[in-house]
Amino acid sequence: MKNCASLELISVIVNFGTGSKVLAEAKRSGITGGTVLLAKGTINSNLLDFLGLSDQRKEMVLMVADKETADRTLEKLNEVFAFAKPHHGIAFTLPVSSIIGSSVCKIDEKEDDKGVETAMYQAITVIVDKGKAEDVIDAAKSAGSSGGTIINARGSGIHETSKLFSMEIEPEKEIVLILANNTKSEAIIAEIREKLKIEEPGNGIIYIQNVNKAYGLYE
Amino acid sequence: MNAFTTKFREVAFAVLPITLIVLILNFTIAPLEIHFIIRFFIGALLITIGLTVFLLGVDIGITEIGKHLGSVIAKSNRILVVVIAGLILGFIISAAEPDLHVLAGQVESVTAGLVSKLSIIITVSLGIAFMLALGLVRIVFNIPLHKVLSISYLVILVLAVFTSSEFLAIAFDASGSTTGALTVPFIMALALGITVLKKDSKASEKDSFGLVAIASAGAIMGVLIMSIIAKTGTLTGELEYSDPVSTHILLPFIEKLPKVTYEVFLSLLPIIVIFIVFQIFSFKLHKRPLRKIIVGLVFTFFGLILFFIGVNAGFLDAGKIIGNKIASLENKSYFIITGFALGFVTVLAEPAVYVLTQQVEDITSGYIKRKTIMAALSLGVGVAVALSMVRILVPGIKLWHYLLPCYLIALSLNFFTPKLFTGISFDAGGVASGPMTATFIMAYSQGAANAIAGANVLADGFGMIAMVAVMPIITLQLLGLIYKIKSRKGGLKKDEKLRQP
Repeated sequence: MKNCASLELISVIVNFGTGSKVLAEAKRSGITGGTVLLAKGTINSNLLDFLGLSDQRKEMVLMVADKETADRTLEKLNEVFAFAKPHHGIAFTLPVSSIIGSSVCKIDEKEDDKGVETAMYQAITVIVDKGKAEDVIDAAKSAGSSGGTIINARGSGIHETSKLFSMEIEPEKEIVLILANNTKSEAIIAEIREKLKIEEPGNGIIYIQNVNKAYGLYE
Repeated sequence: MNAFTTKFREVAFAVLPITLIVLILNFTIAPLEIHFIIRFFIGALLITIGLTVFLLGVDIGITEIGKHLGSVIAKSNRILVVVIAGLILGFIISAAEPDLHVLAGQVESVTAGLVSKLSIIITVSLGIAFMLALGLVRIVFNIPLHKVLSISYLVILVLAVFTSSEFLAIAFDASGSTTGALTVPFIMALALGITVLKKDSKASEKDSFGLVAIASAGAIMGVLIMSIIAKTGTLTGELEYSDPVSTHILLPFIEKLPKVTYEVFLSLLPIIVIFIVFQIFSFKLHKRPLRKIIVGLVFTFFGLILFFIGVNAGFLDAGKIIGNKIASLENKSYFIITGFALGFVTVLAEPAVYVLTQQVEDITSGYIKRKTIMAALSLGVGVAVALSMVRILVPGIKLWHYLLPCYLIALSLNFFTPKLFTGISFDAGGVASGPMTATFIMAYSQGAANAIAGANVLADGFGMIAMVAVMPIITLQLLGLIYKIKSRKGGLKKDEKLRQP
């Protein structure tokens, strides 16, 4: 197993049905494996929104690799899937501090955290109760975001599990992923915090990550 | 590409195969008169547009209502609420199903009024109501699906022993007719609404399916019990068989409009009423999701009307003529092969098939692909139709000669296939026997039975839907077995492991 300087998580969001192709292409560039999950994307169109058709089925692919491989893979994916064109999807990378259970590489135990080299974009992740994701996206849009990706999820805080009949129940959640330019992210976060009253307990959480590289974002 | 164009493309690719096959038949062994061909094409166009709009409507309307309802029922945490909700929902949804009314009307005429239309509708609806309640209870108490199904079909087998073979066919057809284009998505969403709550994601995955299957078993039981009580023996009446005469191109489409509109409205009505009641007392949805659901219902309504007009005015006559022409040919193997081909492609355009395959994709996160399910379904329906054609040709073969072994195989496969596939495959049985099969394939076999000496339009006509409902159960379970074998993890090879530092 080789040693490498830093690890990166590559996230690719593409139209439904393309996820497996992305993974196959990535493997050709040296990625050892990945996870595909289903997501929902939104689209900016007043007519479609009025007709209730603004949702699109998407797939999200998550892959971890060392920086060198990640860069090479992203270049290749960008070439093949043309993220620069509208509606072709987006791809971005986030820094990862360590990985267990994969033979990608061993990270050098270096103390100095390199962090992100001059982040242009930030990934804002919001986890809220089911049904509130669209409110989050609305809030984000009003603060200048161009849209977001919704992932269905399930989960609970420490005291939320309950039982109905013989079924153990966990409340349904929605994860909203929004990519935003550094200049706008503060405003977007503030807007979501205010609209959804995230500060109050039980209303969800927000966390923000710096993005290393991003493709397919256009203002 | 937006939601509409994506859906339209999918649907167009599903309707294309059947259009091509009819075109090929037209230029080879079954030439159609030009106005039938034109009508068939208009029908195909209407079906494509109608199905697109309908499916979009189901996505944002019917499915949402079903899911909300399922979750509200489960969250009541009272067994009485679950049972009563199951009974009421099951009864009114099936009583409003137009396909059931058609079947009940046919039964009334073939029994010369001994079994009235109303009594069939009521017994079938009661059967479905009872079983739907049982199905919901099964989900909340984690009772394994294969046990419920095995017991249900055992009861059916015992009841069937006391029933005449004609009624057996009607009973199994009833299960196919009641699971129509609207009922299936609604019942599936109902199950989904409960199962998404489950903490155990494996259980949540497999329990999302099977409710349609349990409900349709209820329809079979209903008819069987009624025939035993009414002591109906052989069928005496006659079914009208009309040769297609209208040479007008557009008139049939316009003529069907009022009747189809009424039927679609009738079948949508209970869902709308339930939704309004729950919206006021329980859901209390906000403006945005509420508007989405209303738009969805409007889409569903108009989409379904277009679809049914296309099927009834464009496909029905074409099916009859093709059946008649091919059955008149000297070489009867053409007839069976065409049956297989038509069955194979017709199921692709079946509305509920879309809903099922999409739900499978969503729930398994794309692990089981739509195309794979479609292929297994097509194969199953193709074989089912081909076997039914053999039955029309050979009078000695009775329906139960097919059904008994098929159900025995289907139920015993239960014990080997992954549990997820048990639900999917038994649901697929109900899904495959939808309006496309019930009209187009039925028309084909009726047209054929009319041309073959010794074949009885009535007795051979009934029972085909039953076959279409059982074969996919077998093919999909076999698919499940293949998945089970293929998906075993390879793991790392020994030397690879050793080489690691």
